[in-house]
Amino acid sequence: MECVVLAAGEGKRMRPLTAKRPKVMLPLANRPMIEHLVLAARDAAINDFVFVVGYGEREIRKHFEDGSQWGVHIRYAPQRHQHGTADAVRSVRDLVTGPFLLLNGDMIIKSTDIADLRKCHPPCMSTSTTNHPGDYGVVVVENGLVTSLEEKSKYPKSNMINAGAYHFDPDIFDAVDSVQTSSRGELELTDALFEYIAEKKMKAHQLSYWMDVGNPWDMLDANLTLMGNLQSDLKGTVEEGVSIHGTIIVGEGSLVKSGTCIEGPCIIGKNCRIGPHAYIRGATSVGDDCHIGHCTELKNSIIMAGTNIPHFNYIGDSIIGTGCNFGAGTKIANLRHDHSNVRVCGKDTRRKKFGAVIGDGVQFGINCSINVGTLIGSNAQFAPNSYVAGCLGENAIIR
Amino acid sequence: MGYIGRREAAPIIVEGLKKLEYRGYDSFGIATIGNGIELDKHQGRISDSSHSAGHLKGKIGIGHTRWATHGVPNDINAHPHTDCLNQIAIVHNGIIENYADLKRELILRGHTFRSETDTEVAAHLIEEAYESEKDLLSAVQNVVPKLKGSFALLIISKGVDQIIAARYASPLVLGVGDGEFFAASDMTPILDYTERAIYLEDGDIACITPVTVEIFNGKNQVQRPVELVDWSIEDTRKGGFAHYMLKEIYEQPQAFYNSVRAITRETIPAPIRNPESVTVVACGSSYHAGLIFKYLLEDSCAIPVRLDFASEFKYFSPPIKGVVIGISQSGETADTLSALKQAKGHNCTTLAIVNVLGSTISRIADFTLFMRAGPEISVAATKSFIAQLAILMQIIDFIGDGEYEEVLLSGHRAIEEVLLMDLSGAVELCRNANSIFFVGRGPFYPVSLEGSLKMKEISYIHAEGYAAGELKHGPFALLSKETPVVAICMPGETYGVMISNIKEMKARGAPVIALGEQGDLELSDVVDIFIPLPETHPFIQVLTSVVVLQLLAYHTAVALNRDVDKPKNLAKSVTVE
Repeated sequence: MECVVLAAGEGKRMRPLTAKRPKVMLPLANRPMIEHLVLAARDAAINDFVFVVGYGEREIRKHFEDGSQWGVHIRYAPQRHQHGTADAVRSVRDLVTGPFLLLNGDMIIKSTDIADLRKCHPPCMSTSTTNHPGDYGVVVVENGLVTSLEEKSKYPKSNMINAGAYHFDPDIFDAVDSVQTSSRGELELTDALFEYIAEKKMKAHQLSYWMDVGNPWDMLDANLTLMGNLQSDLKGTVEEGVSIHGTIIVGEGSLVKSGTCIEGPCIIGKNCRIGPHAYIRGATSVGDDCHIGHCTELKNSIIMAGTNIPHFNYIGDSIIGTGCNFGAGTKIANLRHDHSNVRVCGKDTRRKKFGAVIGDGVQFGINCSINVGTLIGSNAQFAPNSYVAGCLGENAIIR
Repeated sequence: MGYIGRREAAPIIVEGLKKLEYRGYDSFGIATIGNGIELDKHQGRISDSSHSAGHLKGKIGIGHTRWATHGVPNDINAHPHTDCLNQIAIVHNGIIENYADLKRELILRGHTFRSETDTEVAAHLIEEAYESEKDLLSAVQNVVPKLKGSFALLIISKGVDQIIAARYASPLVLGVGDGEFFAASDMTPILDYTERAIYLEDGDIACITPVTVEIFNGKNQVQRPVELVDWSIEDTRKGGFAHYMLKEIYEQPQAFYNSVRAITRETIPAPIRNPESVTVVACGSSYHAGLIFKYLLEDSCAIPVRLDFASEFKYFSPPIKGVVIGISQSGETADTLSALKQAKGHNCTTLAIVNVLGSTISRIADFTLFMRAGPEISVAATKSFIAQLAILMQIIDFIGDGEYEEVLLSGHRAIEEVLLMDLSGAVELCRNANSIFFVGRGPFYPVSLEGSLKMKEISYIHAEGYAAGELKHGPFALLSKETPVVAICMPGETYGVMISNIKEMKARGAPVIALGEQGDLELSDVVDIFIPLPETHPFIQVLTSVVVLQLLAYHTAVALNRDVDKPKNLAKSVTVE
């Protein structure tokens, strides 16, 4: 069976992390999130993929090529202008031949659920429950059939939502062709589903696990979840005197120096230098070619490739882009004194502990203090001793 | 445009042709391999028709949107063309120059032609070769060396899961998809599906299946790299250029060469080869072409030429004998049409010079000569002007004793040379000007009129073209530091007096930009900015100086952020009086 993955969007809510890559290429447990999806689908015996690509098409193609490295076959359908999910589905017309699965590229889903969705007769929509149904399309399910679907409702009728994974027949293509531009100015796939729902054809399939990555801080939970599946694997060199607890992966060419303490789950990429005397706490993933140095503590964070956090740093509950450099003594705060939820750019993260979202290529002088909930655009630069808080744009220079 | 892959071909080709429409829009057609060759062709614009070609089945198809060069726009002359048995279909961009000879031979060998196009000969030639070779690729490889001229060809045949693509001197690019390929004259229609492109080179023949492409140059297999095209830039460009006007300026060497080649002694009607007197009626840029013609013909053949604005023609006493030439890019200019009708009413022989086949003017005039400029989209005329001059200069050559033949056949090279000229200094002077004077003498006077017209119509800076000697009779009062003068000062009988005119203007404080022959130290010492033109025949210097002035206007308009292709208040063809 063919599987269409929607991967064309930039993911504006994920800025500044999406400056150089599309949302689906953001790393979770050191793999692009879309790769986890492909692997889950592959484990459900799906080998033929069509990626709808747009923003950052080249990043995705460069990573997967034709998919043979993963034992699957991937084709690409470019969507040059993102006019919405219905338009994305239009772009694969004729590229898929029979019934197919349609998956949003930015969610975490289990392979057993994909296998079950596959068995469900099309049209079939997967559903999940959440505490914040108002953020999603709220569905009402009766006797296994979807009887109502309401987008981003202020007064949700249930806590059950559309999870963005479907099993469709090719007649969906005629349905999406008749979709009109919505009040949000987009061609929305869900508008194509109302006829199925009205005719009591749309089946519902409840997922056992589902998580979507809508905001940068969601990456931390997703990172933790995906690391849960991993086995320890030390390919790199771990010196004597390193203390290791829990699941730890250290990639090829990496060196963990003496005196370092790692509490899993942690994953460290290839060609990293860790320690001496670094303290890395789970769930943390460190990308390839990073330097985590002396007396640096990392906790529950995602550090992307090529970033240096070399001396006396503390990074907690944060997401750091590629190629950043932290001056000695620069630290990120991750807890408010009033213990209320951390807000980033005015948005509630629903987390008590959250540090910062830092784009690619950001450079800190020594002893910078980064307050809770700070968001920093790519290539910003900070002079020594800067106090950094709030939202800072790309290329900002703080003297 | 062609498609081969796993999707239905027709809808993809319809969408693609809509994007290629700027290359031609008088008719369109599509062929697919479904139940045999399925064909659908229509006169008119594909974007105006609600055609989806949905009834054409098949996963291999070719399509074409046409700009008529041989044969008027109608359903039959629209591409694709097929062989006698309707088993081979081809689309073609370019001109097969030796089609008349080939057609004659093919008819003698029993082939039946349906259209008046040059393209159809290729279909029949491939039919013959396919019968003996039994292989479509070999058949095309045998036929291509017999074709003279320019072509980008896409060929499909019933029962063969391939598209054969051949290119010589016309653009052709292949789009590489996943299990599908695209072919088109440029990337615009392909970018919706893939950003990976293979650019074919002259003499390349590609054999395309849904999963492979093999490219041959002659009989030798060659490798062409797959290039990544930045769609976000290409998307907003017109075939690689920021504006249609710039694209059309760059097409002028081709437009000039093709137009010169299109006219032979035989195609010039007899009454025009030996006229007693000539009257030219035209509007706008076409009028300036007529004025250049007047200078050149009177000088070389001593035949009097009367020139009227078409819109003013009716207020004068009309010529009662001789030849009346109407010049119009579109062939729909209302004033020129009514002037030609009036001339016919006075028993004059009428000749139309026009860019659009099948246009109204060609039905009114006794004779019609077509320029070969191709579709001109930008409102400001550029390549049609150069093509008009090509035709008019050919007429002079044939009225005379053919002494300009070589000059004209090599004229495109000099035009090519000036396209890349750096005009930044001149643009800097012009963009800040509140008024610009363009001056020249002899045939360079109409050149200055054309230069000023381009400048005012797209940059909205007030500009005046003047005969250099006339400036003293009034406009001198307006000269200042803010009114640059663009002077065309080429060697020849006007040179000495032009130099003194320029000095007079300098003395009044006006900055002078001069177009002169390269290496002219006397001139370059006097002026503020010197633009050197190649040393060629005076006819060709008329062309090169026009091209430089077009570029000056273009770059000034761009510097001022003007809507170059659609200047305010103007329409491409003026169909009301």
